[in-house]
Amino acid sequence: MTLLAQPRWPGAVGRSLGSVALVLVLWHLMALSVAGSYMLAGPVAVGQYLAENHVLIGRALWVTVQNAGWGFLAGNLAAIVLALIVALVPQSRMLVSAVALVVFCLPLVATGPVLRVLYGPGPGPQITLAALSVYFTTFIPLLVGLRAAPGNWFDMIRLYGRGTWSAFVHVRIMAAMPYLMAGLQVAAPAAFLGAMVGEFTGAERGLGVLTLRAMRGLDVEATWAIALVAASVSMLAYGAIGLLADRISPARPEILLATGTTPPRGPLALRALRGLTLVLATGAVLVGLWWLAMEVFALSRFFAKRPDDIWRYLVTAANAEAHRATLWAASQATLVQVVPGYLAGLGFGAGLALLLALAPVLAGAVLPLAIALRSVPIVATAPLIVLALGRGPVGTITIVAVMTFFPALVACIHGLRQAPGQALDLMRLYATNPLARLWHAQLPAMLPAFFAAARLSVPAAILAVTVAEWLATGRGLGALMAMTASTSDYNLLWSAILVVACGSALGYGLVGLVERAVLARVAPEQLRR
Amino acid sequence: MAETMNAPGPEIVCENLAKRFGHGPTLVEAVAPLSLRFAAGRMTALVGPSGCGKSTLLRMVAGLDSPSDGTILLGGATPEALQREGAMAMAFQDASLLPWRSVRGNIALARKLARLPADPQAVARMIDRVGLAGFEDARPAELSGGMRQRVAIARCLVTNPRVLLLDEPFGAVDELTRARLNAELPPLWQATGTTCLMVTHSVPEAVALADRVVVLSSRPAQVAGDIAIPAEARSDKAARLALVEQVSAALAQGWDEAGSAERLAAQ
Repeated sequence: MTLLAQPRWPGAVGRSLGSVALVLVLWHLMALSVAGSYMLAGPVAVGQYLAENHVLIGRALWVTVQNAGWGFLAGNLAAIVLALIVALVPQSRMLVSAVALVVFCLPLVATGPVLRVLYGPGPGPQITLAALSVYFTTFIPLLVGLRAAPGNWFDMIRLYGRGTWSAFVHVRIMAAMPYLMAGLQVAAPAAFLGAMVGEFTGAERGLGVLTLRAMRGLDVEATWAIALVAASVSMLAYGAIGLLADRISPARPEILLATGTTPPRGPLALRALRGLTLVLATGAVLVGLWWLAMEVFALSRFFAKRPDDIWRYLVTAANAEAHRATLWAASQATLVQVVPGYLAGLGFGAGLALLLALAPVLAGAVLPLAIALRSVPIVATAPLIVLALGRGPVGTITIVAVMTFFPALVACIHGLRQAPGQALDLMRLYATNPLARLWHAQLPAMLPAFFAAARLSVPAAILAVTVAEWLATGRGLGALMAMTASTSDYNLLWSAILVVACGSALGYGLVGLVERAVLARVAPEQLRR
Repeated sequence: MAETMNAPGPEIVCENLAKRFGHGPTLVEAVAPLSLRFAAGRMTALVGPSGCGKSTLLRMVAGLDSPSDGTILLGGATPEALQREGAMAMAFQDASLLPWRSVRGNIALARKLARLPADPQAVARMIDRVGLAGFEDARPAELSGGMRQRVAIARCLVTNPRVLLLDEPFGAVDELTRARLNAELPPLWQATGTTCLMVTHSVPEAVALADRVVVLSSRPAQVAGDIAIPAEARSDKAARLALVEQVSAALAQGWDEAGSAERLAAQ
C-alpha cells in the first residue's frame, strides 16, 4: 500500500458502509409495508434464514462457485483463442464473429436440458452453460482492444523490419489488456448466471437447485436469501477483477466501442451481395459444426437432432405446417413481451444517464450502485420480480427491462464522460444552456457506448424473457422449450432453439445496422479503424 | 566511452519519387515526381507548408509508405533492407512511447526489435545522456512532454542507427523546452556519421540544426529552395539570421496560397 493511496481508504469504506446501511433500512421499511403478502422478505427474516441454513447455503454456494469458475475459465479461454484467430487472420473477422454470435444466442433455457441429457447428472451442463454465457462478452471487447492502438506504434515495429508477430507481442496484446479486463469483469456475474441456469435443468446440488426448490415451495425468505447470496458473490467477483485490472493495466489507451473495422464501401448492390455471402457462409459453417458435433460424438438421433431432421420437421413432413404454426404462435407471444421490455430498459437506462448528466453530483452517487446492480445475475432476481409483480406480462416485461436497463445505464454514463472537455468548455464560454450542451456535445459522445450496450442486450433480453417464461408465465418460446424438453419432443425443441438463436442474431444484426447508420453521422471516428 | 559503431550512414537517393492517395475524383497528389539526394552522414532539414507532403516523403524514406512512382535507395539498398538490418530509427511528433513500459523498457525495446543483444549498460548510458538519470522506472504518463521526447530520442539512438528520421520531434513541446532539446540532443548524433533527415515547421530550428535545408512547395511537394548551411553559420549570428531570411523567402515563394485555399474549400 503506497502512502498516496492511504487517505482515500477511510472515506471510501465509510461511503460504502453508508450506502449498505441505507439499502438495508429501505429494504426493511419496504418489507414492513408489504408484510404478509408473500412478496418480500425483510433483512431480518433473510438474516435469520441465512443464520439457520448457513451450512446448506454454504455448500450449495461452493458447488455453484466451482461450476461458474470452471465455466469462466473455459469460456474466456475460448474467447481469447477466437480473438487471436481473428487478429492473426483479419479476413476471418466477419465469419468468426457471426458464428460466435449465433452460438452465443443459443437459448440457455433449451441448451440446458439438451446438455443435461448429453452429460447426465454431473456438473457438465452447468460448466458448459457458464462458459457459453461468458465467451462472447469477452470476445467482443477483446476484438476491439486488439486493434485499439495508435498507428505510430505499429510504424515503429515496422521500422525495425519486424512483422505482424512482433506487433502482436509488443503492442496489440498489451494494448488489448484493459479491454480484456473489462470483458472478464462482466464475465464474472455472467458465469454465475450460466451456472445457475445449468443447475435449474436438473442438477443435484448448487444454488440453482435451492432457488428452484424455494420458488416451488413459495419460500419467500429462502428465495430472497439465495438471491442476496448470489448477488453478493457476483458483485465481489466483479469488484475483485476490477481491482486486479487496475493493478495489471494502469495505462489505458483511448476507448473504442464500435466493432466495425472497415466501413462498407462500394455500391449498394455489391454491399448487399457481400452481406448475403456472409449470411450464407455463416449458415453453412454452423450447419456443418452442428452436424459434425452430433456425428463425432455419435449422439443418439432420438434427442440429438441433425440439421436434416429439423429440415424435415419444419419443411417436408406431412404436418410441417402445424409445427411451424406452433413455433410462430410461441414466437409471437415472446416477441410482444421482449420488444417492449428491451426498448423500455434501454430507454430508461439512457434517459436516466442523460438526466444524471445534467446533475453530475448525482451521477457520482448512482454509478457505483448501478455497477453493483448490473453484476447481479438476473436469474437470481427473476424470481423476486415474479413474486412482486405476478406471473403476467408486466412481470416478464419488467424482468427484460431490468436485464437491459443496468448495462445501458452504466454504458451511457461512461459514454457521457467521453464528451471532449474542450468542446464542453467552449460551450460554457458562450454560456450555452445545459440542454444544448447535452444535445451538441454529450449525446453524440454517449451514442457509441449506448449502441454497444444495445447490441449485447439483445441476447441478454432473449435470455431474460425465456427464463421468465419458463419459470413463471408458462407462455411463449421459453415455456415451449421447457415443455418440449420434459416431454422429449426433441424435434420441436431443436426447432425452437434454431428460431431463438437466429432471431437473436438477427436482432443483434439489426441493432448493428442502426448503430452504423447513426454513428456514421455522429461519431465516424469510431468506425474508422 | 567506446560505443560499438555501425557502418557510417548511407547516401539517400530519391529518383522521380511520387505519391498519390485515393483514386478518381478523390485523388490527392501528395508528392509530385521529385528527385533528391541527401548526403551521407549529414543532416538535412525538410521545411514546407502544412500538408505539403514532407511527412509523406519521410515515411517513404522510412519504408512505411511505398511510393506510387520512382525509387528510393539508401546506399544502394532499399528502405526495407535497412529496416531488416535494424539500421533505421525514427522519432514521431508525439513521442509514441508504449504507456505500459517504463523509460528503460521503452528504450530497451528498440534494441530488441532491431535484433541487437540486450545491453542494459548501453540503455542506462543513453538514459544518462538524454538527461533522464533517476527516471529509469517512470512510466510515460508520469513524464512531461519534453521528457517523453528525450525518451523517444534515446530510443532512436540506442540502436546506433545508420539513418535517423525525425518527424517534427519537438513540434509538440513549448518553445523553451524546444530550445533546450535543440541544444542538448543533436550533439548526440552529430558526431556519429548518421545520415539524418528531419521534418520541421520551424525555420530557425532547421537552420540551427541542419547542414542543408530543402524547402518544399505546397502540395504536390516540389523543391522550392535548396540552401546549404555552412558550418561557420553556427557561430555567426548575423549569418544565421540571413539564412533564416533566405529560407523564409523560399518558403513564401513556394507557398501557393490561392491553391491552398482552393484545396481547403474542396475538402
